[in-house]
Amino acid sequence: MAVTVNGARHAPEPPDDERLLDLLRWRLALRGTKEGCRSGDCGACLVLVDGRPTLSCLTLAREVDGSDIVTVEGVGDLPAGRAVQAAFQAETGLQCGYCTPGFVMALTALLLETGRPRDAGALWAELQGNLCRCTGYGSIRRAVERAVREAP
Amino acid sequence: MIRPDAAAKVRGAVEYGTDLTAPGMLWGALALARVGTGRVRRVDLAVARRVPGVVAVVGPSELPALLPTGGGDPERPLFPTGTLSYRGQPLAAVAAETPEAARTAAARVTAEVDPGPTVRSLEEIFPEWPEDPDAAPEVTAHVKAGHGPLAERFAAADFVVREVYRTQGIAQVALEPHACLAEVREGRWHVRTSTQTPFGVREDVAALLGVPEAAIVVEGTWVGGGFGGKGASLLEPYALVLAAATGRPVKLSLRYREEFQLVRSTLPAVFRLETSVKDGRMTARRVRTLLDTGASLPGRDFATGYSIGFLLGPYRYDAFEVEGVAVRTAKVPFGPHRAPLAPQCVFAAESHVDGIARRLGADPIAFRLQHLWRPGDATMFGQPVGPHALAEGLHRARATATQWRREGPPGRGIGVAVGFWSTGVGAGGESRLRLGPDGLVIEQGEREIGSGSVVLGLAAVAARTLGLPMARIRVAYPDTGSAPYDAGVYGSRTIGALGQSVQKAGEAILRELARRVGNESVPEHLTLAVDGEEVVVRGAGADRPVRDLLTDAERAAGGLELLGKHYGGGSGLDPSRIERGEFYPYSDFTGTVHLAEVAVDMETGRTDVLRCAAFQDVGVVLDPEMFRGQVEGAVAMGLGEALTEETLWGEDGRLLNPRLLDYRIPTLPEVPPVEAVALEGALGAGPFGAKGIGEPPIIPVPAAVANAIADATGARLTELPMTPERVARALKLL
Repeated sequence: MAVTVNGARHAPEPPDDERLLDLLRWRLALRGTKEGCRSGDCGACLVLVDGRPTLSCLTLAREVDGSDIVTVEGVGDLPAGRAVQAAFQAETGLQCGYCTPGFVMALTALLLETGRPRDAGALWAELQGNLCRCTGYGSIRRAVERAVREAP
Repeated sequence: MIRPDAAAKVRGAVEYGTDLTAPGMLWGALALARVGTGRVRRVDLAVARRVPGVVAVVGPSELPALLPTGGGDPERPLFPTGTLSYRGQPLAAVAAETPEAARTAAARVTAEVDPGPTVRSLEEIFPEWPEDPDAAPEVTAHVKAGHGPLAERFAAADFVVREVYRTQGIAQVALEPHACLAEVREGRWHVRTSTQTPFGVREDVAALLGVPEAAIVVEGTWVGGGFGGKGASLLEPYALVLAAATGRPVKLSLRYREEFQLVRSTLPAVFRLETSVKDGRMTARRVRTLLDTGASLPGRDFATGYSIGFLLGPYRYDAFEVEGVAVRTAKVPFGPHRAPLAPQCVFAAESHVDGIARRLGADPIAFRLQHLWRPGDATMFGQPVGPHALAEGLHRARATATQWRREGPPGRGIGVAVGFWSTGVGAGGESRLRLGPDGLVIEQGEREIGSGSVVLGLAAVAARTLGLPMARIRVAYPDTGSAPYDAGVYGSRTIGALGQSVQKAGEAILRELARRVGNESVPEHLTLAVDGEEVVVRGAGADRPVRDLLTDAERAAGGLELLGKHYGGGSGLDPSRIERGEFYPYSDFTGTVHLAEVAVDMETGRTDVLRCAAFQDVGVVLDPEMFRGQVEGAVAMGLGEALTEETLWGEDGRLLNPRLLDYRIPTLPEVPPVEAVALEGALGAGPFGAKGIGEPPIIPVPAAVANAIADATGARLTELPMTPERVARALKLL
């Protein structure tokens, strides 16, 4: 198979039952994508596959053959992703940080598919597939509002 | 202040336990018992050994040869060989070339077990209060204390309110599952692990494996959430044993389902409260608690004696009696989860108080103020009450509640609840500060688990002590081989305890600098400042660069190095009030007052929490963002305990809802806006009077919601979580 991950081309040969999550983390050593529940409930493993937000724990590696993948390690190369990362940093939209890559990727995906003007409230509701146990979501909400204001 | 770890965390660039890797690494897996209780007759490892890719399978027979003294604590065997006491106990451990091979092999470990008794609930074991608890084989701890003329006050009362409250088990749900990586080489037992307590893990590993502490090195990683669940060893001894057996590094981690099943946390409790009321005043209280402590060993229960004081609340009575019984059940042992059992106790106690106030027709806030500890008071256990901001919190809450009442449409309910906490400043810690020509390094033995208390809080203490800007201060995380000792991240103690050691080391640095600039009498006039690239000493004539004040040896070693130590201890309890069992003194008082506003659907029982306000005693705020983050996060977690979270156990000891779809933590649309108000001025034991607030703001949350539901509907909920079904029953809809 062939995939582009964060702009770099790879030709991994994963077994048929390997998950995209494990391909990224262990075959390509991109461990910024987090393993949480491995059952699609927490959102920590979210990446972009051809621009679409995708739970890498529920995706077989073979399914993404030929795709263009962006992970948290590469999302800062996109103007929207860079703005999202800056907003989470400026608003301290994190504590332990384990859910943060998933939130950064999910919000970037939303910004990429939403034209201006954006409705922060509507975008906010779209993020409910991502769980955070530390912040109570308050600082994440402030980060989302800032990103919506400042992203190109 | 932007957290120093934020930039790396938004890029996914910090290494957690789950991310650990090493050249030549093997993958471990645990074979977990698939029965709740029983006697192990035989464990068969042969099939597991034949799985391709398996390098080692370690069971009880293999252990003695791997351990320097043949074994560790016989009371806590790594692999039980006799009686199983809860489902999921490890029977063997596997190391293999791939994670799949390790898990396949672990699944093929089989055990012949004579099945034991089924798992019973507290109510099944003791449908009524046990009149002679010590006669029951399930009772592992029994505490009792009292003071004053209880029987007399009960007899003379206008009325006595008797209620029973029940609370549930809670799962930790840190998003990062437990994970560690171990290596044993040349007699050195090295483990990298995601832990709240590196030194605690070292102590545990030493006891469990019979390896001297000096031969063990624990290196903490970044921690993806702890909440108490990463406060003791779990996987480390197994990973080390596998590393010893294979001579290679071994990675061991839990799947999320196993995380639910094996990580210790809060378990169910039953609280019986009786309060006598005379002339509008609570005159005496009797409290009796049954705590499910799971398969805890006798003598290891801390929860019963510690939690029971929360059932009296921060109130004065003429007399009291408390009695607590720890009940052994076939569940994973009880473990600490953010303010262990305090939200549950306060749910019972503050619901009870609220009901009494309503029965008297008293304003619930005025009623609490009437009974509140006054300056100079002692707790019911005879311990002097330290400064707290509860009265101010109640006054502020009254103003906010009045405003909410004006704004809100009719039908909404507003509830208030009060809690207090004692931060763990009694436990000791040390830190080493090194002042170099261009900045300061804080070397210490904790790891940042998320609150910011280590990465930002300790730096803020040093900045305030020395006058140095935060940008010139770095917190370092040496392993237990070189870090100064610290008890770890628990009990909201980082700022209060380890922070004191940072402050003391900082003051020692100023004293030493005063001596060196020849101005020994006035170190308090000295401060550090930055001039260009250089750190300078200011306040004794012309600025003096630190560089010029260091000896050659110090310059070579990176700077002037001084150790700060904090070893505290709570003030004593009055032994004449304690009849039996262990009670624990409070070491630093922190008050917390919460409001919740709810709307209850009178047809379905569904409760929506619309907004919350938290008036949090903090002594002094070191960083406003960090303060707000702790309060918001605690309120959200408390709303989970109030409304949805509950571990459900089958008769076979199986956890019935070990998934995030079935065990529901609050999701983003369910958490309402939280107003986090800092109450400064009632100074605590920490540096500059700061009090730890990792735990306190969760304590009143379930009670505030329950009281809001009572305010909206008139119905009193007596059981957590307050699911639509339970609310509907209370409303007599079912």
